[in-house]
Amino acid sequence: MVDVRRVRGGDGLAEINDELDQILDSVVENTRLATESFFASYDKNPDPKVLAAWLAPRAWREIDYVFLLNEQIRRYGLEFERKHITLLAKQSFQEAEHYEIVGRAIESLGGTVPTSVPPEAKPWSDFLWECLERHPLAAIAAWNCSETSASGSFEPTFKAGERHDFAEVVRVYKQIETDEKFHVGLGRQVLAAYAKTDHDRDEILRAMRGMRDIAWKTFTPESVAQARSA
Amino acid sequence: MTTFDSRSLGQASELFELTIAELRPVAEGVVSLELRTPDGADLPAWQPGAHIDVLLPNGIVRQYSLCGDPAQRDNWRIGVLREPASRGGSSYVHEELRQGGTLSVAGPRNNFSLAEADRYLFIAGGIGITPILPMIRAVAAQGKPWTLLYGGRSRRSMAFLEEIGGLAGGEAHIVPQDEFGLLDLQKFLGEHLPDTLVYCCGPAPLIDAVEAKCQIWRSGALHLERFAPSDKAANKEKGSFEVELARSGKRLVIPPYRSILDILEENGCKVTNSCRAGICGTCLVKVLSGVPDHFDDVLSYEDQEAGDVMLVCVSRAKSDLLVLDL
Ligand SMILES: Cc1cc2nc3c(=O)[nH]c(=O)nc-3n(C[C@H](O)[C@H](O)[C@H](O)COP(=O)(O)OP(=O)(O)OC[C@H]3O[C@@H](n4cnc5c(N)ncnc54)[C@H](O)[C@@H]3O)c2cc1C
Ligand code: FES
Ligand SMILES: [Fe+2]
Ligand SMILES: [Fe+2]
Repeated sequence: MVDVRRVRGGDGLAEINDELDQILDSVVENTRLATESFFASYDKNPDPKVLAAWLAPRAWREIDYVFLLNEQIRRYGLEFERKHITLLAKQSFQEAEHYEIVGRAIESLGGTVPTSVPPEAKPWSDFLWECLERHPLAAIAAWNCSETSASGSFEPTFKAGERHDFAEVVRVYKQIETDEKFHVGLGRQVLAAYAKTDHDRDEILRAMRGMRDIAWKTFTPESVAQARSA
Repeated sequence: MTTFDSRSLGQASELFELTIAELRPVAEGVVSLELRTPDGADLPAWQPGAHIDVLLPNGIVRQYSLCGDPAQRDNWRIGVLREPASRGGSSYVHEELRQGGTLSVAGPRNNFSLAEADRYLFIAGGIGITPILPMIRAVAAQGKPWTLLYGGRSRRSMAFLEEIGGLAGGEAHIVPQDEFGLLDLQKFLGEHLPDTLVYCCGPAPLIDAVEAKCQIWRSGALHLERFAPSDKAANKEKGSFEVELARSGKRLVIPPYRSILDILEENGCKVTNSCRAGICGTCLVKVLSGVPDHFDDVLSYEDQEAGDVMLVCVSRAKSDLLVLDL
């Protein structure tokens, strides 16, 4: 009934819509598999600290989105319609709220909320900032892929939440799941509204493909194990 | 045709295009309309006291009680009084609708259902006979005793007199005002009858008088339905419309430049939302009747066209009233 990828508001992506959907489907699937595999290992040794460590790079994503969105608006916002400035700012505010609530969840599990980029989130963060430098739409494309990827993690997280009774984490991600529909729809609308040239579309594709190969990695149990041993 | 289940009402609430199979005068100022599906299929079941929303082509939505026989599943009958000061509801029915034409309706819904009792007292004033008639028929069919007090301006203005004459097992007091004056409420309501339920429908002064008389009756004995339009609708600002919350029956006025979502929240009705801009789709609400005016960017054109869901953060109404599954 509602498919935010089919949001109206521009036809700049018409030629590459199918390819974008394939990229997004693949990153959602990889994130789902990574999340399932994380919780399979968590089932064997349910240590809240491990769950907190799994959430840490996610908390960083939230606050990094705040920085990115505001920089996006500062640099390129005046090329957009005013309503899109408002909506990107609204997204930024919600990402700040996510940082706050994911942070609270991490602390409730006995973990520490990152205040600088965690090493395992660095490739993700570096790629986004590089995209922001390259092209007015590239960072939006990259985070649209990253945010879409998160949708693959919700179901396995909620299921594990029932098994292990971490209600706070589930509550937080239910809220995030709602907001992510907005962020994913908004990103797609902005890209479709302002992509005009083949160069624009190439940059969008490059950013999405690049993020497809990165976004799911911090969801794996290996990434958490490595972070904890560092 | 779209169908969905309205849990709150425990009955199907549907939007239909029906054929006006028959349209004829049944009393002075009253026409009866018999509505059927174009393909002759059965209509949803209903119980006495139910009404439908009629969505007139001029954008006005009005409620009309079903006054036919619930056992006849292939048609719905309504009786409509021409209001002299009509703002476009009953006048449209009388002046513009034609036999053979089509009519959009939603429902049925029932806020006036018949409860179990040993005996019944029915009090109808004028067009208020419409929901009462199927009630009497149901009670008569169960072989239970009933009394009807039916008042009207004159015999000619009182609809369905012949039909009432054919109903068994009770006594009908037909009281045209020009012959007998007002209904003698004291005689029938002056004493509390513990085994009797009172059902009343009619003009506001009659209902008020019945309510006053029933003060001495046990609470719950009196059931009534008012046909009167709400004050709010009359003072309607341009661009405003009303929303009814089906689960509570609460009505809210949505002023121009305010969203349905804002007004819902102000009235303590929580709806999931995020963007408040018609992008995320999370504030989706089912529309049980009325015609939404869509302003979102994310519902498919098919869903917008069907009109049975809407995004309440941005979308508004083409009809005066929207009934939402909230
Ligand atoms: C549950 C239900 C069932 C109904 N069933 C029937 C039925 O079976 N048959 C039937 O004929 N009608 C029925 N009605 C009434 C019907 O829905 C309409 O209200 C009626 O047809 C008048 O509509 P209108 O647009 O012609 O008149 P309106 O323009 O709504 O005006 C009707 C009358 O009310 C006066 N009026 C206008 N505004 C106000 C106000 N704010 N306050 C007080 N008075 C006002 C007008 O001057 C006029 O006399 C039912 C109503 C309800 C709620
Ligand atoms: S809140 Fe996003 S579409 Fe209504
Ligand atoms: Fe977020
Ligand atoms: Fe987001």
